[in-house]
Amino acid sequence: MERRSSEAALIPVLQMLSYLVISLGALFMAFKAGSLPASRWEPMSAGTFPQIIFFSIAALCGLAVIAEIVKHGLPRTSLKHAWHKLIALKTVIINLVLFIAYMIAMPVAGFIVSTFTYLLIAQLYLAPRQLITLLIAVAVAILFSAGPYYLFSEVFSIYLPRARW
Amino acid sequence: MTDAFLIALGGVTEPYTLLLMAVATFAGIVAAAIPGFTITMAIVLTLPLTFAMPPMQGIAVMLSVYVGGLSGGLFSAALLGIPGTPSSVATTFDAFPMARQGNPGKALSLGLFASFIGSIISIIVLIVAAPPLALLAVKLGPWEYFALIVFALTIIASLVGDSLIRGLIAGLIGIGIATIGPDPLMGRERFTFGYEILTAGVPFLVVLIGMYAMSQLLSELESKGGTNQSSGTLISGDMRPHLLQTVKDIILKPVNVIRSSLIGVFIGAVPGAGSSISNLLAYDQAKRASKHPETFGKGEPQGVVASESGNSSTVGGSMIPLIALGIPGSPADAVLMAAIMVHGISIGPRLILDYPDLVYSMFIAMAIASIFMLFIGVILMRAFLRLLNVPKYIVVPVVLACCAIGTYTLNNRLSDLYLLACIGTVGYLLKKLDYPLAPLVLGVVLGPIAETNLRRAFQTSADWTLFFTRPISALLLALAVISIVYSIYSYMKQRRLLAQRLGATPE
Repeated sequence: MERRSSEAALIPVLQMLSYLVISLGALFMAFKAGSLPASRWEPMSAGTFPQIIFFSIAALCGLAVIAEIVKHGLPRTSLKHAWHKLIALKTVIINLVLFIAYMIAMPVAGFIVSTFTYLLIAQLYLAPRQLITLLIAVAVAILFSAGPYYLFSEVFSIYLPRARW
Repeated sequence: MTDAFLIALGGVTEPYTLLLMAVATFAGIVAAAIPGFTITMAIVLTLPLTFAMPPMQGIAVMLSVYVGGLSGGLFSAALLGIPGTPSSVATTFDAFPMARQGNPGKALSLGLFASFIGSIISIIVLIVAAPPLALLAVKLGPWEYFALIVFALTIIASLVGDSLIRGLIAGLIGIGIATIGPDPLMGRERFTFGYEILTAGVPFLVVLIGMYAMSQLLSELESKGGTNQSSGTLISGDMRPHLLQTVKDIILKPVNVIRSSLIGVFIGAVPGAGSSISNLLAYDQAKRASKHPETFGKGEPQGVVASESGNSSTVGGSMIPLIALGIPGSPADAVLMAAIMVHGISIGPRLILDYPDLVYSMFIAMAIASIFMLFIGVILMRAFLRLLNVPKYIVVPVVLACCAIGTYTLNNRLSDLYLLACIGTVGYLLKKLDYPLAPLVLGVVLGPIAETNLRRAFQTSADWTLFFTRPISALLLALAVISIVYSIYSYMKQRRLLAQRLGATPE
């Protein structure tokens, strides 16, 4: 059995956590599937297939945990490494938050305003601070917010969300 | 049959359709040429644009993006030394050195012509193989169909990613997601927990966009090179295509291009194993068969030919299970399947019997798109140089916004946007934790088919041993077990070799 260093063990620790979360979720779903009523018309009810699937997920997660422990022992990492890794992903996290905010804002602010704002902020966050990039970001934000809106409504008769105010 | 062929030919060769196909091929090449933008993303984002088109036109446009995309990775591979898509990894080995030696035009035209030949060979194989396979598949019972899907999922799980267990877990999670909403036989509501957003189930395309496009785009932001540049330095040099020399190079050594194309077709037909594997395998085989393998990796034209014909020929191969069995082998094929289903056409072995004109139009569209790909690629070679310079700070937010547009236009439902944000976040987390996402996405597509056939089998007979006593079903289940056992065996072997190598390394 070869033990991993604290830094190398970060992903295995998170994987072990994911096995735990997934297996608990799968067991809950399997339990819910079991409570679906049986069918009079067929031997398998609507819940049987999902039960098989969710129990299999839980079993595989268990197997994955055992395999990891047998191969490398219980992985151990430190909060310091986890924090460093999280900081390294700052750009991704901020962009993800921006995108989620964009999804939440779109039904209220409408497609054009929300897309323009999202594209402008995201580009300005990612791009180097220069006048030319600012101009490019504004041009791209206008093109890809108003452009698809009119393309879809005029050409395909599909209407993207309008502002509610 | 002739009538159906003529209807298909008339439909695809309408001037407006041809124009759309040319634009789509161009868009496919551009999308795949931009590092970080994958073929699947391009096809997903094209889908909403085809809703208003007749089925034949819509499918022709989607296939054009697919065919264009399979050769687009060549541009960044040759000019930047970075594969635009995973399907052009082996192309970088020789196309980039050739470009650095001052012949970027030759490297590109060799790759484009090899892609063209590969696509045409794969279409010929598809035309020959798909109809008889579909006729055979019509006779399969629910036992065989269920076994076939089990086999497909185990193959996908064992081929994609580093861990078989995580591949299987991902595939089963995909099937589990597909069980949310009405059950496929009786329509009974399952796992909605009273939320209206889940009543109709989780749309497969939202899962695909969230899992594939979003997670990939977010991963692009992790790169250490920053977001200003998409790449490294562009190669410059002789951009003339040297067409005559290129054609001579390929035609006079036909064995390499034919072997690589057939490898591509075969790999494409295996679920889960797509162009990202075929280009490496074709390259490896070309190197082994070469009389001067030492030139490979130093700008060898046959290396470029092998890789590019190997990846482009997967298009015909991957369409074989889709057309003949209704089983998509890759996320890109799953989107094509969805594009057909959007028009109310059910996919399965009966597709070729019920809609022969549509199937013929697919064959014709692929052939025409291959010709477009060759011409557009050669003529606009210089223009693609500029496109490769699009920085990530533009690509990532714009494509994420396009993902939102694609998701909303699928059903005109705002709630799908919330689902997209949730699924995208989960997809990124799973990707970071090394769970392969292809089995998950295909699990969502194949899950309802598996459940329908399993339940139909038990409706026909309560005897479960039929799965093991009917020969084709037993064979497929045995192959599923073998694929898992083989995967475990290869993993153990790799570990042993690694341990031996580490043991042999002096301290």
